[in-house]
Amino acid sequence: KLGQALNSALKKLARSSTVDEATIKEIVRDIQRALLQADVNVKLVLQLTKQIQKRALEEEPPAGVSKKEHIIKIVYEELTKFLGTEAKPLEIKHKPTVILTVGIQGSGKTTSVAKLARYLQKRGYKVGVVCSDTWRPGAYYQLRQLLDPFGIEVFGDPEEKDAVKLAREGVEHFREKGVDVIIVDSAGRHKEEKGLIEEMRQISEAIKPHEVILVIDGTIGQQAYNQAMAFKEATPIGSIIVTKLDGSAKGGGALSAVAATGAPIKFIGTGERIDDLEPFDPKRFVSRLLGLGDI
Amino acid sequence: MFGKLREKLKKFTKQVEEKIEEEEKAVEAPMAGEEIQKAVQESTETEGEKPGFLGRLLQVEIKEKDIEDALDELEIELLEADVALETVEALREKIKEKLVGRKVRIGTNKGKIIEEALKEAILEILTPEKKIDLLQMIKSKEDKPFVIAFVGFNGSGKTTTIAKLAHWLKKNGFSVVIAASDTFRAGAIEQLEEHAKRVGVKVIKHDYGADPAAVAYDAIQHAKARGIDVVLIDTAGRNELNRNLMDEMKKIARVTKPDLVIFVGDSLGGNAVVEQAKQFNEAVRIDGVILTKLDADARGGAALSISHAIGAPILFVGVGQGYEDLRPFDEKWFVERIFGED
Repeated sequence: KLGQALNSALKKLARSSTVDEATIKEIVRDIQRALLQADVNVKLVLQLTKQIQKRALEEEPPAGVSKKEHIIKIVYEELTKFLGTEAKPLEIKHKPTVILTVGIQGSGKTTSVAKLARYLQKRGYKVGVVCSDTWRPGAYYQLRQLLDPFGIEVFGDPEEKDAVKLAREGVEHFREKGVDVIIVDSAGRHKEEKGLIEEMRQISEAIKPHEVILVIDGTIGQQAYNQAMAFKEATPIGSIIVTKLDGSAKGGGALSAVAATGAPIKFIGTGERIDDLEPFDPKRFVSRLLGLGDI
Repeated sequence: MFGKLREKLKKFTKQVEEKIEEEEKAVEAPMAGEEIQKAVQESTETEGEKPGFLGRLLQVEIKEKDIEDALDELEIELLEADVALETVEALREKIKEKLVGRKVRIGTNKGKIIEEALKEAILEILTPEKKIDLLQMIKSKEDKPFVIAFVGFNGSGKTTTIAKLAHWLKKNGFSVVIAASDTFRAGAIEQLEEHAKRVGVKVIKHDYGADPAAVAYDAIQHAKARGIDVVLIDTAGRNELNRNLMDEMKKIARVTKPDLVIFVGDSLGGNAVVEQAKQFNEAVRIDGVILTKLDADARGGAALSISHAIGAPILFVGVGQGYEDLRPFDEKWFVERIFGED
């Protein structure tokens, strides 16, 4: 609905013979609305659109390019620049590479861990998964059910209550087995749960991961920035996975997480099946945010 | 919990108040103190009849331009509190409706008038057409069991909420059985069984991959045979665009004919949650809403947006991971929380 509104605004612009300041402001306002409805952080939206407006007013479009086309180009440039223009792949350099995943309750960590394990296995790596979630009932069984069919081993103990101990022993276990990648799943937590944030910091210190991945729900709203910030303060977030982008969510909250952590998005989750994990593509993501489809 | 939202609304009140006071000064200026006294007296005397010339002079009318700037600011603040864009716009219209053209007598407490208008606008957005008294509804149903189906997006907190609600119902003297109708997500059945063991209720389950409607049907038969009061049906998380899963949900509703369908929504969600709620409401009529994760410093905007979008009341809010962390919700409480002193 909003994508259409944006499109019609841009069409209106195309029809008008001259593009004056008022028209540009109108377009900028439409873009603002599109981004806000996509759950992009309000402050970020204001900051981005200010920059877009400035460039649209000052820059002359190159020969052969209409003012309208030029404005769309500016919007794309500013947004993709923000997201890191090129895709940054996950690097497996050490043996074993230790990866820790963190995130809010229900954001999709456990499913993403299984997806990532399978993704790496398909690329020829030997993978071990550690379940350090001592909080949510059924967490260990969930991983086993997802990974047993692929012969990926899951280390865990539903009876153990010490998450830090589990993580440490799990990493040690797989180190001895000589796997290439160890992925540690952790319990969901949010920034107000100080005890759990501290536990996460301790896990991170105990296993010294090469990469900490923040898993963030594509439907998250304005709290994304503050939550991501709290995670970053406790652990060195190195990359982001945005989940649940198969629904109508546009994932704008993830942009705020990028802004808060300075970490790039590396994958997106697009469904519940284990293969529903795609490397991140900034251009497609921006199209989605603006509701314009692939262009 | 809603401190931020409260701050913003207070700010709005103050801004509008100042604007009106400016206009008051313009009215008062030509008159000396004594004359004002006299004028006030006269106008009081004529009250109830046609207001005299001076009576008209002594009141200012709130104009659109007085509140426009403050509304623009409030709009941003509401968006930051996760109130969905369309709800923000509806709220804006309502506030305007209530304030523009309103005549305020000089000397009256304008802050109070503005705040009351804000409260009314929010309460109107929040108050659904019908209310639900859950305990009363369960008690008054003649043929047991009372069946509640839970639906929602992945990871919104359905399973944990069901455990909390089972605990709450038990505390209120009802017997409960849970149907493990999420036969899809790995670990779902084990998770539910562990919860049920801890709160002391039985789970009716089949294997993974079984027909969710059949599991729910069995649970209802089990409850009937044993005179159990309430059946809670846990369903798999699904997204609003997945046709097959939405059809599956409709089938569960058809087969079990629930007395109540509850949508479980994540209060950390933004505009997307409103879209979800609408689509779910279209597929199976939603009777009530439970908002989860309100303890995660959520700004509470989702409460406003969901109520506005689907017109169903919010029954409970989840405020933690413990079984006690489920709090009955009513609109007045919410508005009091927003406006009340901390």
